Amino acid sequence: MSSLAFRDLTKRYKGQPAVDHFDLDVEPRSFTVLCGPPKSGKSVLFRLLVGLEKPDAGRIMLAGEDITDRAPAARAIGYVPQSFALYPHLTVYDNIAYPLALAGASRDEIARRVDRATSLLSIGHLVKKTPDQLSGGEKQRTALARGLLKDASLFVLDDPLVGLDYKLRERLMDELKALRQDLKATFLYATSDSLEALTMAQSLVVIDRGRVVQQGDVIGLYHAPRHVRSLELVGFPKANVLAGVAAGGVVTAGPLRCPVGASVRDGPVTVGLRPEAIRLGSSRGVAGKGRVRLVENLGGELVVYVDVSGTDLVMSFPVTDAAAPVFDSTVAFSFDPADVLVFDPGDGRRLDKATTHG
Amino acid sequence: MNGRGFRQHLYYAALWLVALFFFAPVAWIVLSSFKTREQILAVPPKLIFVPTLANYTDLLSRQGLLLQVFNSIFLSVVAVCVAVVVSFLAAFCFSRFKPKGTDFLMFLLLSIRMLPGPAVILPVYLMYAGFGWKDNHFWLVMFYAMFSIPFSVWILKGFLDGVSVRFDETGLVNGGSWFHVIFRVVMPQVKPGLIAAFIFNMIFVWNEFLFNFIIGGVSTQNIPYALAVGTYSDGGVNWTFIASMTTIYVIPPILFIYFFQKYLLVGMTFGTVRGEV
Repeated sequence: MSSLAFRDLTKRYKGQPAVDHFDLDVEPRSFTVLCGPPKSGKSVLFRLLVGLEKPDAGRIMLAGEDITDRAPAARAIGYVPQSFALYPHLTVYDNIAYPLALAGASRDEIARRVDRATSLLSIGHLVKKTPDQLSGGEKQRTALARGLLKDASLFVLDDPLVGLDYKLRERLMDELKALRQDLKATFLYATSDSLEALTMAQSLVVIDRGRVVQQGDVIGLYHAPRHVRSLELVGFPKANVLAGVAAGGVVTAGPLRCPVGASVRDGPVTVGLRPEAIRLGSSRGVAGKGRVRLVENLGGELVVYVDVSGTDLVMSFPVTDAAAPVFDSTVAFSFDPADVLVFDPGDGRRLDKATTHG
Repeated sequence: MNGRGFRQHLYYAALWLVALFFFAPVAWIVLSSFKTREQILAVPPKLIFVPTLANYTDLLSRQGLLLQVFNSIFLSVVAVCVAVVVSFLAAFCFSRFKPKGTDFLMFLLLSIRMLPGPAVILPVYLMYAGFGWKDNHFWLVMFYAMFSIPFSVWILKGFLDGVSVRFDETGLVNGGSWFHVIFRVVMPQVKPGLIAAFIFNMIFVWNEFLFNFIIGGVSTQNIPYALAVGTYSDGGVNWTFIASMTTIYVIPPILFIYFFQKYLLVGMTFGTVRGEV
């Protein structure tokens, strides 16, 4: 039995669906990351889940019970909103203790649990301050402590690390991982940052335009992306995505021409090609030439940005593979036509066989 | 002393002069309350004199004085409290639920304050006379509250718009009721607005004469009423009464404004200069 299920959930704003026939099952005690570009419906979905918005259609089931029409207070879900929303008239301690105090916990219990939460997030020294005396990271950790303190079996975190600097995000990601071991609850986590998604996730759910477009673990998503968003999400550097046209089993995208098999119908397409699928030299099936615009040496790996008659391509390969290309020189490259992925330019779905790499 | 220091002293001297000029009538009336009738009317005015408390003892022996002071305090405090509570709740609804045509509704609310009192006194008088509400504390409080609510709603809506809805949501998600959200989450954050609305209305009701005179009566008379009625007595202008009564009358608002003047300022800016969360 899943601990949380969305069934055909729909929410429209001014006729436009923000969440569109959304179906998802979340395993108990899992850590599920919802990943999608901004405005893809993650926040709206969370607001529906915690009860701040009413859906136009569909149901939400939590632990076998239908909670769709329940008041937010009756849902017992820990919620860390995207904005901190710390009460300016309360101290950090009182802000964190707030959900417990509202639930009528005893003073001793509040003290005990606030202490634990603050030491876990290392903000114990801040408890007497007020929110306007805190830095962004400290506010975020206070909001996290407040959200995670609640007696709940489900915690919902809406892009909680957005806007923080890189170092702090890395640290908080580690802290969150530790917390999730500790709390033994189900976590639902939204982010538009792919690195964050890959670092945090046990299970990834890729969302686009209010729908689930693919669900699975990182490896599954990497090897068999069924949607252009999955391709963009998993993998670093980010995959090349080009607009192209298919005709008679051949795709033309900018300067590239590549056979993709007769299964792709004629018409406009979106073409995806992973940077690591491209090699220097002309050993593979489809070859091309381009001018080197930028070379990034990541130690073990080279990332090369090449301008192919006006179209930018990113390629990456191990440093030992070949001599590093020189800036502004012309290089020859090639790739295997089997590595080319073709997507529908309208809804982003995979058009060629998704199991090619499978 | 260098030139810059001297200029600064000059500025300060000018500032003090202007401020004292504005304060002069108040000073005159307060000083006069400790003078005899002859000293008040002396030309040139007597600045050095032996103060007397005779005016105050006279005042205390006047019939109805306690009732008038009580009425002034009672009418303004109760009416303003009612107005601020009602306005806060109304402003909360306008700010959060944004009913259709909010801007126009707010404009309508304020319209009664766009006219001078004498313009609306006749319909109000006819209504009060018709329903038999004249000379009644409750109905006078209702009138003052009604007159104070529109402006308070305006002030408070500005403050409430500055309090992010995210605060409400955090309260709701963590198990709070709407009651909790309104009074425990939002209200503490608009305290300056509440105080500003309180002061503005207090000043209005405290100084109100016309409506008290027309739709009030013997049992509801306040200090402005007493001043107006008591000015001509004993065969002329009763200077000593005016001076001592006025002195008592101006003390509460002066103290009030002195201690809360910073809220008066935030009230004027309608709480619009607040940060987002």
